[in-house]
Amino acid sequence: MIEKELIEECRKGDLRNFRKVVEKTTPMIFSIAFRMLGDEDTARDIVQDTMVTIWQKLSRIKTADSYKTWAYRVAVNKCYDHLRKQKRQKENRYDDQAWAIISNHISEEGITELENKENAQIINLLTNKLSPKQKAVFVLSELEEMPANEIAEITSMTRSAVKANLYYARKNIESLLQKYL
Amino acid sequence: MKMTSENDGYKKIVEILRNSKPDLIRPEEIGNEVINKIQRENQKSSGLSEFIESLFGWVYVGWVRRSLVGAAVILIAVFVYQQAFIFKQVKNISKQVVITGNETAPGSSSALDKRLTLYKISSRLSPGGEIKFSESQLEELLDSYYDLQVKYKDLLRIIEEDPEMKNYIENKLNQEKKYKPDI
Repeated sequence: MIEKELIEECRKGDLRNFRKVVEKTTPMIFSIAFRMLGDEDTARDIVQDTMVTIWQKLSRIKTADSYKTWAYRVAVNKCYDHLRKQKRQKENRYDDQAWAIISNHISEEGITELENKENAQIINLLTNKLSPKQKAVFVLSELEEMPANEIAEITSMTRSAVKANLYYARKNIESLLQKYL
Repeated sequence: MKMTSENDGYKKIVEILRNSKPDLIRPEEIGNEVINKIQRENQKSSGLSEFIESLFGWVYVGWVRRSLVGAAVILIAVFVYQQAFIFKQVKNISKQVVITGNETAPGSSSALDKRLTLYKISSRLSPGGEIKFSESQLEELLDSYYDLQVKYKDLLRIIEEDPEMKNYIENKLNQEKKYKPDI
């Protein structure tokens, strides 16, 4: 939780306090960027860019209350930009190793925790064919467990658009699972 | 049955991904990098602002600012006065322009004079749009009219000076008028 006072101080240009904000904001932004982009290094770059942008535009937010949603929005927009720049892979190549990992985890009894590398591999495989919006909604809703209202605010979509994107993302992933498992 | 297993598979994999929060290794590195980047940007922008300050800083000097404001006000006033004056003059000139047919001197007609005469003739000749002729035809007509005026200038003078001849010509013209059919 980031204190309002801390944000207010940063809005006045206090860089020392901003370091504390960076420490608290970085993990949540890294999580979203990692899950949207499926790459650790790129996610780290996105986090850096996002934090610099946040510092530059911090004075623009109306109140400190809206900081968290706004920070997420900046990060998601950075991820969008990166995904648009990236060549979209049209073919979903069959990755034996990654599908074997998924298959093993699904057949296992309990819920195991994945390493970053495995995590990225599975995310890439499952969300490769999703549009940037679908990826964002899938990550925020299914993995970060955010409510539709908040997702709508972060992604600047309507609630119905959020639901529609989530529906298509799910459908796409389910059809992949059906095809390869 | 298959649908359920698909759905179960989806739920399971989402559950696994949800529980596997990505590990941020060495977060302090990102923090340092961010702060360094911000400081670099600040230095860059402060260098730029110093340069701009040295170029345009004098505008912040009190008396310079006041003088500039005064000069701007004077310039605007002069401009408004000038525009009003020009507008008035143009209005007067447009009232003064009265062109009559007699003012177009034969032989010395400029292109503008010619145009004006053409315009007048054409507007007189075709009030109902009955007579149609081209501009080149009209120009030809005008040229021959001016030629005739020049050629017969001397003849007209001789006639004016000799009353006997004048009477004779007037009689002849009257006679011809009688024979002309009414149109």
